[in-house]
Amino acid sequence: MTLSVRRIWGLNMDLFLQRVFDAITNGSTYALIAVAMVLIFKATTLINFAQGEQAILGAFAVLQLWYWGIPMWGAVILGMLFSAALAAGLERVFIRKFDPADHLPLVIITLGLFLVINAVAAIVWRFDPQSFPELFPSGNAFTYNNVRLSWYSIFAFGSCVLVLIVFQTLLTRTKTGLAFRAVSSNLESSRLSGIKVGPTLQFGWALAAAAGTLGASIYAANPVLQIEPSMMLRALIFSVTAAALGGLDSLWGALIGGLTIGFVQSVVVQYIPFIPNEMSLSAAVVVLLIVLTLRPSGVLGTKAVERV
Amino acid sequence: MLDRLQRNGSPASERNYQIAKWICFTIFLLLIAFAYVDVGTISIGSNNYNLSLIRLNKAIAYTIAILGLQVVIGYTGQIALGQSFFFGTGAYVSAWLIADHSWPFLLTLLIVIPSCFLIGMILGLPALRIRGLYLALLTFGLAAVFPSIVKLDKLYGYTGGAGGKLTSNYKFLAPSWLPFDEVAQALQKLPLLGDFFGDGPLSTREESRLWKFILFSILAALCFWLVHNLIHSRPGRAMRAIRDNETSAAVSGVNLAITKTLSFGVASALGGVGGAIYVAEIGIASPDDFSSLVAIYLIVGLVVGGVGTLPGAVIGGLIYALVPDWASSTQSISFVPERWLQGPTGSLILGILLIVLTLFLPGGIVMGWRRLKAMIRNNKSHLAIKNLDKA
Repeated sequence: MTLSVRRIWGLNMDLFLQRVFDAITNGSTYALIAVAMVLIFKATTLINFAQGEQAILGAFAVLQLWYWGIPMWGAVILGMLFSAALAAGLERVFIRKFDPADHLPLVIITLGLFLVINAVAAIVWRFDPQSFPELFPSGNAFTYNNVRLSWYSIFAFGSCVLVLIVFQTLLTRTKTGLAFRAVSSNLESSRLSGIKVGPTLQFGWALAAAAGTLGASIYAANPVLQIEPSMMLRALIFSVTAAALGGLDSLWGALIGGLTIGFVQSVVVQYIPFIPNEMSLSAAVVVLLIVLTLRPSGVLGTKAVERV
Repeated sequence: MLDRLQRNGSPASERNYQIAKWICFTIFLLLIAFAYVDVGTISIGSNNYNLSLIRLNKAIAYTIAILGLQVVIGYTGQIALGQSFFFGTGAYVSAWLIADHSWPFLLTLLIVIPSCFLIGMILGLPALRIRGLYLALLTFGLAAVFPSIVKLDKLYGYTGGAGGKLTSNYKFLAPSWLPFDEVAQALQKLPLLGDFFGDGPLSTREESRLWKFILFSILAALCFWLVHNLIHSRPGRAMRAIRDNETSAAVSGVNLAITKTLSFGVASALGGVGGAIYVAEIGIASPDDFSSLVAIYLIVGLVVGGVGTLPGAVIGGLIYALVPDWASSTQSISFVPERWLQGPTGSLILGILLIVLTLFLPGGIVMGWRRLKAMIRNNKSHLAIKNLDKA
């Protein structure tokens, strides 16, 4: 045991550090999608299965705007606005008329949106992977022996934290944010005290889609990845697990969950010999199973109290 | 009430009516089988659509898997999305037994059913704690994981890795005592309709195709019969009680744990049977045939046919087997740009169907049909009452 620990810490310290950095990179992008999930769950106690597809559609819109000659960050902001508007429309047309307590129709609707958005993205932009322009300066911020920390990793993590701070401020310091928190705490009472519940939830959907688009753009801007319509499916599972791990209604829990899942995927799975490399997805699902069975409210989430 | 009395004179005549209906249906199925055993395409416009028995056999496989979803989602109300996992498990177990141990197909079901039932019960255990959306999430994850489990290097000997497991060593030879040839010849001699049934005796291949169709139909009928009985028995009533209100079901003495695990087990076993049939039909079990997209498509089948209705599973199976295939063989429609026909149009159509039906016809096609029938019947009874008033 000591021997193997020394092997990790001694001989392969570089590799270990490198994997930790990878974990942070992946974890931050999962966290961004997880934040989107959390926003929608907070408001409607609904898990949006189409979240990943909405995000990839947004990322494709960003790519298209960039092709049309708009500078990259301008394109990202326009893409976020586009997907926010789209999500607000989707919420109004497909989600609002259903009773939030009856889960089956809502799950089915979001699965339907998943299929439709995925198909539309594939029809418009084709299945072939395309390279996504870089969002952040290329190269490495830090090199030590063989360990490289790229600017991409730093900026990915930084933008995740930034988004969380912005959302936190938005939810705690503004009037809309107050309304949003009231609705997520008790829908009936907030309706009685004069909050317009529908538009508030719509605002939550728009915000979530914007966060998702940013997440997908950052994910696709990873120099080792290319953008394609089905790339979000894996990321969706990881992000959902991250969201559940952190507590489905906790913003900062999403970051913790995302980093943990990144860590499991890039570090833990690599060091356990009997788990093959391709099993990182399964590892995520196992983590999800354990969390949901033992602590359904996650690490930072509020416990659900049910009155019968 | 009046209407029912008029229509069904007595329970005995109602029973005869049912039997006659089912006999007609069987004959209809057989006629379809003989008619499409050789041709198998219909043309609309400039596009050819495949309607061979191969498609119909696939539809039967999906139908049985959707029947399993009916049990767990439709009748027990647990949102379990991972049917493709069990579909795949059944398929691979069957393929392994056929290819490596040269078992005959029907015998593999004896292993497939109990093993899928057990796996389903074990994986259903967390569902006792996890409810609603969380369960949907977890089961969706399960569906997403299946291909990567099958592709594991360690399981290569059993699953054949990414290339898949071939089962082509097993041939479905029609038993010689079945009078396929004679029936085909007799049908060909029919006046007017004879042309639909091709000409000459059936080839061995056609006979085996026909035999598969009949065999799978019988299996499907057995599954439907069993599920129908289950639903109308004590455990079935317990399942429906859980769906309608879990708390009140528990208060009325329903054992939640046993009933839920049972429904998971039954659903998984049905998924396994569906998978075994699927593999028997296409002759190979390959990982990508059991992806999470399949899980979603099976949900589409469930919803479009009608959640909580047994005939809905048949409609759902047909839709799943035919819509994506027909969409991809549609090469040209006027007014629709070609680009929209070359992509995953089937997926688009299924997604739209899913949304539209959930919004406008929550009970699916079967419920819509029943409502239509009730409307027509009500109109009639109104007329009858009006006539009574006049007299």
